[in-house]
Amino acid sequence: MDLIQTLLDGLMVGGLYATVAIGVTLVFGIMGILNFAHGQMVMLGAYTAFFVVSAGLGFWPALVIGMVAMGALGLLLERLVFRHTLTDHMTGLTASLGVIMVIENLAAAAFTPDPRNFEPPLPGSFQIAGLTLSSQRMLVLALVILLVVGCYLFLQKTRIGKAVRAMGQNRTGAALVGIQINQVTAVVFVLGSAMAGAAGVLYGSLFAITPYMAAAPLMKGFILTVLGGLGSVPGAVLAGFLLGLAESLGSRYLSASFRDGYGFILLIIALLYFPRGLFGQSAKVRV
Amino acid sequence: MKLSFFPAAVRPAAVALAGLALATTCLAQTVKLGMVNSLTGPHSTFDLPASEGVLMAVDEINKRGGITVKGKKHTFSVVSEDAQSKPDFAVSGAQLLLRDDDIKIVYGIMTSGPGMAAATVFGKNDVMYVGAFTLMDTILGKPGAEKMFRTLNNDATVAKSFVPASVKEMGLKKVGIMLPNEDVSRSIVAIYKPILEANGVQVPMVEYFQPDTSDFAPVLRKFQNQGLDGMLTGTNDAMVEAILRQATELGNLPKKFMYRGGSGAPALKYAKQIEGFTWQILTRDLDNASDPKVKGWMDRYKAFTKKDISPNTYWALAYYDTVFMMAKAMEEVGSTTDTKALTAKIKEMKYDGVRTMRFDKDGRALSDIDIGMLKDGKVTSVRASAL
Repeated sequence: MDLIQTLLDGLMVGGLYATVAIGVTLVFGIMGILNFAHGQMVMLGAYTAFFVVSAGLGFWPALVIGMVAMGALGLLLERLVFRHTLTDHMTGLTASLGVIMVIENLAAAAFTPDPRNFEPPLPGSFQIAGLTLSSQRMLVLALVILLVVGCYLFLQKTRIGKAVRAMGQNRTGAALVGIQINQVTAVVFVLGSAMAGAAGVLYGSLFAITPYMAAAPLMKGFILTVLGGLGSVPGAVLAGFLLGLAESLGSRYLSASFRDGYGFILLIIALLYFPRGLFGQSAKVRV
Repeated sequence: MKLSFFPAAVRPAAVALAGLALATTCLAQTVKLGMVNSLTGPHSTFDLPASEGVLMAVDEINKRGGITVKGKKHTFSVVSEDAQSKPDFAVSGAQLLLRDDDIKIVYGIMTSGPGMAAATVFGKNDVMYVGAFTLMDTILGKPGAEKMFRTLNNDATVAKSFVPASVKEMGLKKVGIMLPNEDVSRSIVAIYKPILEANGVQVPMVEYFQPDTSDFAPVLRKFQNQGLDGMLTGTNDAMVEAILRQATELGNLPKKFMYRGGSGAPALKYAKQIEGFTWQILTRDLDNASDPKVKGWMDRYKAFTKKDISPNTYWALAYYDTVFMMAKAMEEVGSTTDTKALTAKIKEMKYDGVRTMRFDKDGRALSDIDIGMLKDGKVTSVRASAL
């Protein structure tokens, strides 16, 4: 029973990591830059939820508003910053570092560094088949599965999703067959940022919200991007769940003092056997 | 015929000189106290109220007419420097104070970074220094710190009163300890575990977690179904609130908590889901004051500072009584400058002010503290003696 509870905890946290990693891997797959500012979307998504819930609108509007607001911010950043760095990956990377500093310091100035949290829609725990499970954690697990599956279906089944994947495989080729590069790039930023916003809202429903909360999910998002195979959405998702499980099982049955170390052990072992990541293909970037 | 010692041209200068002489005589009756505190920067949260405590005490003593030392009246003045929450500014502030030969006694600094830096300067210059920062405990009793005092109880002293009071009030029998993996946590376990056991409480589990943990579920699950009725945790409000929140979500966990920290804030939201929560108020409880001394002090504080009582106001009491102790010691010793005699006098003194204070031979405070309690949804506090 204890093992099952711990596995579910791990899947829930892993799902959150995967939701963040999807945005990182999409942007990397399309634009070839590691967007460090992605973590700030998680943080701002969490703050958006905090203010929406505090205003009495409730969790579900907060989730929608958080996703829409971060999607819009992602679009804004793409138009103002990243569109102009498309051909220079190092400039894009540096610009994203600058964006981190601006957003983080603005958030600290506006919201103060004091931790915030909001009332989850499903507080407390419930019993089922001898298991004691946190209601909110189970809700978060269900929602991240929904988000990940929805994102995957969007990329696989829709016309724009196919265009995104085509661009991930070969941007020049995609342009030659008539795909509007600028539009697809914007879609990728909106989608990735909205996923990060959703992750932030879900994060905030469980954990403390601070201006500095972005570092951990971002770092893990990058681990997952590499572990899953650069640019691979299914890889990032699988890696997210594996990382969550490794952390939860390691912290529960070994030492909780080494929590973040388990992810790196997993990364090293996986890369020894799968040098291009779990879903990486030889010298190709897939989306 | 009108006689004059001074030609008309130099008469104004003579008057000025006479005034200066008179002023100098008056200054001789004033005892200058130095104060270095982080009045700006992140540490000002602690140091600003602490500085107000010193200024308020000085103001009250002066309004009473000062102190009488060998039949002569003396009042106090304070020369203040801003440490800006930085060790280098604490050092330069300390050095500026030391340039004034009249300053033999210095108050200030609640936080260890700037505090240690300033204490090093004062230790080398034979100044009597009254501080409150945690790491001060490591230098007291050592050469160079003979004239230093720490005005807040150290962990070992706090635990001696906090543990029995918490065990009694919450009826604890079996407790688990859950703390971040830091040096301070090891010392907390070394101090609290034996005291808990000496008070009849079993401590079968001690778990450390990564300090920046946000998801406590895996480590909390270790405490599930262990027959525990309480947990000792820390070490800051944000962390403890997250632990409480997640403990109430996961279920099958103890519902009584001892917090090795100074605020009840982490528990207030969860008052209905938990059965008890105790915390350490290292001076006096200003939120639920029933003691007339505390109530009177709060009224005077508001009048003096023109501020309301805030969650950090109680740091003002870290120094307030020690200024009165110093004044009393000066009257009894018969000197305002003999810091060796003043140090000895303070170490043998028990002072019953807003706090009840005493210092041991090394300058460590042994004062009463208030212990905050949240029980049955109600916040109260009890007085616990360390004397």
